[in-house]
Amino acid sequence: MVTVTINGKLVRAKEGEMLLAVLRREKIDIPALCHHEAVEPYGACRLCMVEITRKEWDGWKNMVTSCLYPVADGLIIQTHTTDLIELRKTILDLYLARCPNTPEIQDLAAQYGVMQTSYEQVADPNDCILCGLCTRICDRMGFSAISAVNRGHGREIAPPLKNAPPDCVGCLACALNCPTNYIKYTDIGHTREIWGRKFELLRDAKTGQLTITKEFAEYLSKHRVIPQDYFDLNDESHRKETALSLGKIAIWSREVPQ
Amino acid sequence: MKIVSPKQLEQLAAEYKKTADRHKKMVIVCCGTGCLANGAQKIVDAFAECLSRRKVKDFTVEAVKKTGCHGFCEQGPLVVIEPQGTFYTKVKPKDIETIIEKSIENDEVIEKFLFTNPKDGRKIEKYPDVPFFSHQHRIALRNLGKIAPFDIREYIAVDGYKALAKVLTTMTPDQVIDEITKSELRGRGGGGFSAGKKWRTCRNVPSDVHYVICNGDEGDPGAFMDRSIMEGDPHSVLEGMMICAFAVGAKQGYIYVRDEYPLAVIHLQKAIADCEEHGLLGDKILGADFSFSIRIARGAGAFVCGESSALMRSVAGEVGEPRAKYIHSVIKGLYDQPTVLNNVETFVNVPVIINHGADWFRKIGVPKNSGTKVFSLVGKVRNTGLIEVAMGTTMREIIYDIGGGIIDGRPFKGVQTGGPSGGCLPESKLDLPVDFDSLTEAGSMMGSGGMIVMDDKTCMVDVARYFLQFLVSESCGKCVPCREGLYQLHKLTIKICEGNGTEVDIEKMEKLSQQIVVGSLCGLGKSGPNPLLSTIKYYRDEYLAHIRDKKCPAGVCRNLITYRVIPELCTGCLACITACAYHAITGQKKEPHVINQDLCEKCGACVAVCKHDAIEVS
Amino acid sequence: MKSRFIVTPILCTGCRTCELACSFTHAKDGKVGRSRIYPLNGGFKDLYVPVVCLQCEDPACVKSCLVDAIYFNENTGAYEINTEICVRCMACVAACPFGCSLFDTQQNLVIKCDLCGGDPVCAHFCPTKALTYKSIAV
Ligand SMILES: Cc1cc2nc3c(=O)[nH]c(=O)nc-3n(C[C@H](O)[C@H](O)[C@H](O)COP(=O)(O)O)c2cc1C
Ligand code: SF4
Ligand code: SF4
Ligand code: SF4
Ligand code: SF4
Ligand code: FES
Repeated sequence: MVTVTINGKLVRAKEGEMLLAVLRREKIDIPALCHHEAVEPYGACRLCMVEITRKEWDGWKNMVTSCLYPVADGLIIQTHTTDLIELRKTILDLYLARCPNTPEIQDLAAQYGVMQTSYEQVADPNDCILCGLCTRICDRMGFSAISAVNRGHGREIAPPLKNAPPDCVGCLACALNCPTNYIKYTDIGHTREIWGRKFELLRDAKTGQLTITKEFAEYLSKHRVIPQDYFDLNDESHRKETALSLGKIAIWSREVPQ
Repeated sequence: MKIVSPKQLEQLAAEYKKTADRHKKMVIVCCGTGCLANGAQKIVDAFAECLSRRKVKDFTVEAVKKTGCHGFCEQGPLVVIEPQGTFYTKVKPKDIETIIEKSIENDEVIEKFLFTNPKDGRKIEKYPDVPFFSHQHRIALRNLGKIAPFDIREYIAVDGYKALAKVLTTMTPDQVIDEITKSELRGRGGGGFSAGKKWRTCRNVPSDVHYVICNGDEGDPGAFMDRSIMEGDPHSVLEGMMICAFAVGAKQGYIYVRDEYPLAVIHLQKAIADCEEHGLLGDKILGADFSFSIRIARGAGAFVCGESSALMRSVAGEVGEPRAKYIHSVIKGLYDQPTVLNNVETFVNVPVIINHGADWFRKIGVPKNSGTKVFSLVGKVRNTGLIEVAMGTTMREIIYDIGGGIIDGRPFKGVQTGGPSGGCLPESKLDLPVDFDSLTEAGSMMGSGGMIVMDDKTCMVDVARYFLQFLVSESCGKCVPCREGLYQLHKLTIKICEGNGTEVDIEKMEKLSQQIVVGSLCGLGKSGPNPLLSTIKYYRDEYLAHIRDKKCPAGVCRNLITYRVIPELCTGCLACITACAYHAITGQKKEPHVINQDLCEKCGACVAVCKHDAIEVS
Repeated sequence: MKSRFIVTPILCTGCRTCELACSFTHAKDGKVGRSRIYPLNGGFKDLYVPVVCLQCEDPACVKSCLVDAIYFNENTGAYEINTEICVRCMACVAACPFGCSLFDTQQNLVIKCDLCGGDPVCAHFCPTKALTYKSIAV
């Protein structure tokens, strides 16, 4: 354990854990758009920047992204100095120029008093803020079905050659974790469509309710050694089945320790 | 043949020196990329062809040597007759016969191939007297244009690998690091970080595996010094890396070569293969307890791949994107192991420092900025090319003495150093000593050594716009301040160039720049606003002229200029009418022509063809 | 010694108190959570079995999670989902053969029984002691 000072308050933290985790635990409201615990910190949105210093630094200060700065004993942290607020304002202003119609960005910008971008809006805006969460999560799941293509301002997220991604299993992890809900998918009938590829959704054998995609289940059976027939039922039917089989034993033995 | 001891290396060096000296006369043909593009290979072939037909006393085709770049590419193909040092420029294959007859068989100097000093129109006979060379101080480029890069024997003959032998036999790793630290050698890749300190930190990390990487990515537009060194003197690079590897305890090295440099790759590969064959790379180098091997990694073709963390990811086969981390790559670099990354030129200085000593090196240059720096001098100077000067040489000496002044005697307006991360300096800074600290203080950067000279016809707003455009497309696009911020800065410069800017825009750009500098993840973004900020700082008037008067004083920004025929000067030759792709010019033969402003697209084609300077830009 | 749920189905009246207890205990940011425990009909009239995670020896949920969001809590003996890590791919929901990993649409989270930090609240609230949590020899 180490002790750090956050906005004047002494706080205990685990050595080496990332500063952002400590700030979150302390309920300090710090925006962070490219962070997810499932993946390595990335440092792209730059909103989580804080100011750090130490006693022995003689007044020298540094601005660092808290999502990937490991805490160490004696660190002195400020999270809302005027400089930091100005920086966040500028970043949100820039975000608004790229994503003028994105509610999540509008809301966050409004919190910082930026109602409208002061820069030139891009011609054909969409909601992607290029946080890279989708690709990093997909990589982490082991599929790497999508990636960031192009450099610079023309960067975008796309499947290889913009075709239906061959490695995608339709798990939706990308779409569900996109901070701006930019990734569109549809579940129509028992067909799921995402990234321009269609998947068959498995159905509960009893109720016909939909579960995960066939491709995802097959992947899990194969790579994670989970019996294929586990996927025949959904969770609700599984629970009912469990009650029935335990009920049978109960009648038979009159007492069942689970 | 394996060289198994330093002693044997010494003997070989003596032997090779003799072989090298056996020719009474030598012809050196520059085969650097620039001269090759100008047809140097044809010159070599012409020598071979001519010598196959004609017998020349004491001279064979073996005495025709292909070397690396001399730096004076603009005057190429270059041919030097040694030992006289007669320096011929712009030689053509058909001239070879004459050269053999006059300059080799007889000691005549052929006037018409000599270099004409653009300053006074006088012919200069000898290589070292050409002002372009005489003001230089060559250390990193010591072997360029002297030895054949493809032949390890030539390198050994000029005391190559002597420093390695010295290190292996008489020094401990700590002594090597002390010597480099004492020499105050600073990284030549841009940041100017002390090489010795970097090596020390790396050595002190307890780990079984350390790496040495040479950064040959060289993405700055217009810069080609690392390329010339890798192509023209690959063994010096290898030797520098070997010494570093010995010092930090690395067994594996990588040279990261920009993808656009296939010739450098070939030369380095040959050099590595030769070293392996001679026992200079591999196990038990020179019989000592030191093993090291070097691999070449091809660049991913992006400017940002020169940045340390992006480069290391790229070497490891990942996407070449900078990774933010607060643990330095010296401690946790390639494959998370301690790694020394230095620039090509940094490594090339190392053998010299070991051979001559830190004190000798420190005497060159100015305090805290020892040694020399290679620049690629381009733009509106008379002599362009690759130059090496002692640190602390003034900008004026470089531009006027070596560069020969501004083309056509026009006024000097500014010099851009450090490529897209650097800045522009005005005339008032001409006497600024060129070293890491002075340049940074003046708002520019040493960078990797690009130097673009600009005359009064260059618009500084346009220059800022150009560099921003480069950065917008070369930024990796990962972090917001750089990706979006530089894009907006670029948009704002376009707005000003088009005459739609306001004074508030300047303030806005300055403010945004400041945030980009603090907010960006890697050096590209952090230094990206430099070209803009330095031009605003030194050429604010020009920005204001664009904004207030809607004028581009340099006559560059299309929206703010008009082309007009001066009737008094126009002879009515019809040349411009034919040249104008937009049919904007009308007029009869022998009568003054007129430009229709509504049709004129301001492409400047007419100005280029008018022989009478009758078209005015305002 | 390990602690386990002891379920006595003939005592269970299907009153769903355990369900309520679970939901309220797992309220987050003021939002009541979905219960992890369900008293369901055991196949005979008036026979109810509270179905809850068995904390298996080799759990399918853990195997199915590709981002390692489910981990074993040494202190409580429960497999818990780190909801910060979970990417809501539903693999574990589909994989658990007892249906004990489930999705909470209200909180938008994938959940499972975490034994309330070692002292399950549901067991405390069971009015008939059909559900208890005790140390047993295994
Ligand atoms: C965007 C960017 C591009 C860079 N490109 C190069 C390059 O082309 N060559 C180079 O040697 N260093 C380049 N650098 C600097 C390297 O990151 C690194 O500092 C340098 O190679 C270290 O070597 P040195 O200490 O010998 O200078 C670049 C840095 C940045 C931020
Ligand atoms: S839905 Fe496809 S692209 Fe998205 S995370 Fe799953 S596998 Fe990757
Ligand atoms: S699609 Fe969503 S998750 Fe992916 S980079 Fe864009 S904003 Fe981030
Ligand atoms: S500063 Fe630019 S180049 Fe560097 S990581 Fe950010 S976007 Fe990429
Ligand atoms: S839903 Fe969450 S806990 Fe379950 S497998 Fe997916 S990531 Fe893991
Ligand atoms: S969360 Fe985006 S930079 Fe830290």
